[in-house]
Amino acid sequence: MSAPQEIRLERLLGKLVLDAAGWPVGRIEEVLAQPEGDAYLLTHVVIGPDSRLAQWLAAAHQLPTLRALGLSRRPSIRKVPWTWLDLTDPDKPRLHRAVLGDQGGAAH
Amino acid sequence: MELGREVLDQQVIDARGIHMGKVDGVILSLGDGPARVSALVIGGTTLLWRIHAGLARWVERRRGGQGHVDRIPWDQVMKIGVDIKVNFEAERSPALHWERWVRDRIIGRIPGA
Amino acid sequence: MSKLLEIALGLVTGIGGFLEAGSLATAAQAGAAFGFQLIWAIALGTIAIAVLVEMGGRLAAVSQHTLPDAMRERFGIRFFLVPLVAVVVVSFLVLASEVGGVCLALQFTTGISFRWWAVPVAVALWLFLWKGTFGMVEKGASMLGLVTLSFVVGALKLHPPLADVGAGLVPSLPAHDTAQYWFMGVSILGASVSPYLFYFYSAGAVEDGWDESYLGINRVVAGLGMTFGGTIAVAVVACATLVLHSLGIQVDRYEQLPLLLSVPLGLWGFRLFAASLAIACFGAALEIALQLAYLVAQGFGWRWGENVRPREAARFALVYTVALPLAGLLIVTGVDVLKLTIFSMALTALSLPVTVVPLLVLMNDPDYLGDRTNGWLSNGAVLAVCVLACVVALVTIPLKIMGS
Repeated sequence: MSAPQEIRLERLLGKLVLDAAGWPVGRIEEVLAQPEGDAYLLTHVVIGPDSRLAQWLAAAHQLPTLRALGLSRRPSIRKVPWTWLDLTDPDKPRLHRAVLGDQGGAAH
Repeated sequence: MELGREVLDQQVIDARGIHMGKVDGVILSLGDGPARVSALVIGGTTLLWRIHAGLARWVERRRGGQGHVDRIPWDQVMKIGVDIKVNFEAERSPALHWERWVRDRIIGRIPGA
Repeated sequence: MSKLLEIALGLVTGIGGFLEAGSLATAAQAGAAFGFQLIWAIALGTIAIAVLVEMGGRLAAVSQHTLPDAMRERFGIRFFLVPLVAVVVVSFLVLASEVGGVCLALQFTTGISFRWWAVPVAVALWLFLWKGTFGMVEKGASMLGLVTLSFVVGALKLHPPLADVGAGLVPSLPAHDTAQYWFMGVSILGASVSPYLFYFYSAGAVEDGWDESYLGINRVVAGLGMTFGGTIAVAVVACATLVLHSLGIQVDRYEQLPLLLSVPLGLWGFRLFAASLAIACFGAALEIALQLAYLVAQGFGWRWGENVRPREAARFALVYTVALPLAGLLIVTGVDVLKLTIFSMALTALSLPVTVVPLLVLMNDPDYLGDRTNGWLSNGAVLAVCVLACVVALVTIPLKIMGS
């Protein structure tokens, strides 16, 4: 087992995630946790679009007016189990699997 | 629970209702059992790291550390709702270091404070 | 206190607090240069600010968060920094304009140059915030601001042709100086839709302990208060039109402004003008300085509140303790207050998308507003005004700078 490692959530958010094959999957948007007893265990990582443009369009999606005008796009996000994340290098998170090309992760 | 949305940047209030600051950082602990939320971080260079990592590194090198940082263990967090309530009194907390400093050195010196 | 009394007080605050250096200067310039033609800009700006103020109040009452609080929590620090910096820079310039306005009013009354008044005025403002409570700032200063109703009296005495006033409500193209016309229109928008107004109002709703039961009051106070306030700005335009425009005098020096009231109302008009200018600008300066402190303190999670002693909220108090002397210093340098005022109004308009869109996003978030989120009309209308203001500002500000 690896030694206890401390990761800063706020530095993890926004980092680009590559899959096992080296392809960019997206940027980390959120980390989900569930209570178990007294602790909150990390369950999933939400990965969002990579490019700036896609991020802006996703942000615009929050304003109904812009949505109605067609100036936004629903963000393509994937919810991936936390265990798939490889943080041996916290600045360069990777997935243990090759996600793109197969149907891994719940893509919306 | 969405850690980024519900925990990060939320207001932290101590047992007496005093505003301690916003959650500037969250520490996740991996490796020793299943990955879990370990602590909240308020103060110091924590916020600066999120704005500009290079600047934060430079400041830490110059000051020889992270500054006045309060690490609040997760088990002291009582409630997550509109605000985050913690289980102790923050009067001596490093998170309020600059508040105390401004009060003692500047504001407190002006008559009528 | 009873809800009816709250409404009455809120209305008085809205009316008395509406006119300040920016709306006075922009309305006077517009009236002198284009007569009644730019009244539509005042109407549009007033509607927009009424809607925005109502939103700020609704956000605070339903979510129990002030706007800066909610912005930091919802958007995170990096996205929060952008509107933070924009509002701080713009608010500071407007603050300096208000301080300048008070100083000029004192110059008119005493003959002593406004630059000598800058430091005493800044200290007086600071003392008011240091020792005063929120109620004193919000209600006291604004109630005294009812003296600005003198402009309505002055306008009525000049017998404005109501048909022309009404025609001004419809946007029309100018016969000359198109770039100047649109620049003034955009400055009026910036003067009416000042971010400090809805940021301050939302903090006020929390300071006054509003909850969901106040939503009705909120709508009345925001809507009627701003509308009645807007009519005072229209009255300024009328005075400027009938006094200056008819004589072909353009407003390019502050010293010309007292004519707006001294012509219809004689010596009393002059005194009322000085009093209106001093009180309106003093009240606005208090609100802007407080709003700056709210913005920074709430954004970073510090202790805050005007009703607590300064030592209980030291960093909060530090913000206004630093901002006010700096604003005073700017005026001591002898900067042209009129130019500063007009310019900061145009800059406000330019920055509207950055300062308003965060509010709009929050108003559509059910996590904060529950089922009280915005309707499509308010969203669309506000967005349209912000985009319009920004685009026109982008075009006309460079033209204005090149022209002068």
